[in-house]
Amino acid sequence: MAKYTLKRFASALVTILFVICVTFLLINSIPGGPWTSDKNPSKATVEALNEKYGLNKPPIVQLGKYLENLAKGDLGVSLKMQKNRPVAEIILEKFPVSAGIGFFALLWSLIAGIFLGSLAALKRGTWADSLIRVVCTVGVSMPSFVIASLLLTAFTGKDGTGGVFPVIFDFSLGFKSYILPCFALGLYSMCYIARQTRASMLDELSKDYIRTARAMGLSSFTVVFSQALKNAVIPVITFMGTDIALVFCGGFVVETVFSVPGLGRYFVQSIQNRDYPVILGTTVFLAAFIILMNFLADVLYKAVDPRIELTKGDR
Amino acid sequence: MDGRNIKRIKFGSFQPDIGVLLELKPEDFTPVKAETPEERVPGTENGSYRHAVWMRFKKKKAATAAFCVLVLIIIFAFAGPIFVSYGYDEFNSGAENLFPWHYSLEDQAVLDKAMGSTEDRLSAALNKAAAEKGSALSSIESAKIKAESDNPFTDMSKIARENNIHKKPFGYSLGELERKAAGEKVFPHVFGTDKYGRDIMVRVMIGTRVSLLVGIFAALLVLFIGTVYGLISGFSGGGVDMVMMRFVELIYAMPDMLVILLLSTVLKPALINYQSSGEGVLQSLVGLLGPNLIAMFIAFALMYWVTTARIIRGQVLRLRSQEFITAAKALGAGPGRIVRKHLLPNCAGQIIVTACLEIPSAIFLESFLSFLGVGVAAPMTSLGSMTSDALSGIETYGYRLVIPALLLSVIILTFNLIGDGLRDALDPGLKMKGEKL
Repeated sequence: MAKYTLKRFASALVTILFVICVTFLLINSIPGGPWTSDKNPSKATVEALNEKYGLNKPPIVQLGKYLENLAKGDLGVSLKMQKNRPVAEIILEKFPVSAGIGFFALLWSLIAGIFLGSLAALKRGTWADSLIRVVCTVGVSMPSFVIASLLLTAFTGKDGTGGVFPVIFDFSLGFKSYILPCFALGLYSMCYIARQTRASMLDELSKDYIRTARAMGLSSFTVVFSQALKNAVIPVITFMGTDIALVFCGGFVVETVFSVPGLGRYFVQSIQNRDYPVILGTTVFLAAFIILMNFLADVLYKAVDPRIELTKGDR
Repeated sequence: MDGRNIKRIKFGSFQPDIGVLLELKPEDFTPVKAETPEERVPGTENGSYRHAVWMRFKKKKAATAAFCVLVLIIIFAFAGPIFVSYGYDEFNSGAENLFPWHYSLEDQAVLDKAMGSTEDRLSAALNKAAAEKGSALSSIESAKIKAESDNPFTDMSKIARENNIHKKPFGYSLGELERKAAGEKVFPHVFGTDKYGRDIMVRVMIGTRVSLLVGIFAALLVLFIGTVYGLISGFSGGGVDMVMMRFVELIYAMPDMLVILLLSTVLKPALINYQSSGEGVLQSLVGLLGPNLIAMFIAFALMYWVTTARIIRGQVLRLRSQEFITAAKALGAGPGRIVRKHLLPNCAGQIIVTACLEIPSAIFLESFLSFLGVGVAAPMTSLGSMTSDALSGIETYGYRLVIPALLLSVIILTFNLIGDGLRDALDPGLKMKGEKL
């Protein structure tokens, strides 16, 4: 187990390093550099700017410098959006907002998904099962921006903000303004988890220990929710790693639609504004975060079910 | 052949007596009668594998229905624009901001009379509010009433209800209604028009076309790369396989949306540079599709082949150790022949199912990027960019958002259902085990 964890951790680190290098070299290969979209600065100005930010050195040297700074927690400074403000500081300000929404989205999708999936398996073949299956099939087919914009249409009041739930994110309104973004973010995961739980629950229900439990007189409800559930949620854990990535990337759109001042919206804006240090820093940060979460999900998966043999190239 | 060398009777053997077989004459054969259903060997009904798959697919109601809906959508997107007399980028002046409904000319005259001018309505509303309150209005209150009366559509539908006037389906501008009354044939704006007077139905058709084509071509690209990679990796085995699969894991662990968004940003200026660098075939291709779309294709091709590669590799590994491959090898077939004649046909099922599940994810990705403004470039449109454009006028013109958004969801849903149905039909033993997507 310890060996496996170490191995997985090492490969996660390699992946992160790979992502950093690729991202850095990609951003540096953009023709014209970051100054082109300004009002055509003179050649001397460009050279001076390049000198100041170290952009005139060969890419490999720049990459080394960047990695060195990164190890110290320095991600460079914003060039355009918030001039000269450290990127690390911006991320630390914006990330908790995204993480808050992501956390609640994951929480509700996990609880509702597992419950609905188990219910569908328990009531297999009835109208409840059909209803849950239809809803979930439709749910995994709707892109998060479609869900978000439809919610926006449904809840926009006459003056643009009213309605039951505020469509423009506002901290002062407390949890009320979390409801729509969290719902939009979590719907896909909820449907996916419910489908997954239903499938693995049906697998589980056909096993001998369930038959024994039923023969001993336990009700089917008890069997599903206290005995089979523990084993049926194991595959869901593998999905959690991917799901965190989905939720944070879905956040790009959902945060843009609901004007949430989070990292996702800031990332989209930095792309539109071509603020390269911000793009680079955010990509590196989010990629590292997602890869680490994947790593945790894998280790947890193995810890929960020691029978699982994780072989090479097969997860 | 010399009869003496053949053992006439091979005792205890079930092998046919070759001597007897050699002496058979044409008269010894009688034509086989058409077999009755009872005589058929069980499990061989209706012949070919393809037919059996089709029969199993037809039994899946959801998948068949999805298939029909998809065909309708394809007809709508590809044949539709022929029948509509507006271009997708044509500005119909005088027909801006039409709803998908209209009032007939007489009703419109009644409405106009009842509504009066904007100033009249505003002062009437102010007077009414003041009378209700019993005192002069504060500046905030009057500003609020002013803002409300700035939206003439709410008032209009109220007055229409009071006068018992009903909306007629499809959008017409006043000018078009007059031309229609004069006996001219005018094509209606079925879904209304946008703020430049462009017909929304034609734009939806073209957008659907773009989304479908982008999805299908991106999926084909990914399938090709993934299949070749998976075949090589699975067939080579050993160290090559291990290295190749490590690389797949590396790509698999990268957050795809993030990288694709980044790639499309980075590639765009490079492609614009390339486009203006010369007049070659490739340059004009970039010009035709737009740098955004090309960047998206490249990004998609770089990131999404890993799923296909893993599936194909798994299938090849399963097949590789089977007897018929050994037999082929023993008969002297080279690796090229084994791959072409034995491995590829046996992977066909997997490839088709993966295609059906890659297409919606490509469509999804295109709409996602277009929605964020880094997808299809104007004046071209796609369902994603239409949804994004509609966000600004959402309070009044909600239908502009709902139509493309729902159509997009329906397209993705049909592909998902067809993919699920095909998977079950191709391999009834294989059930959903929670693959990606």
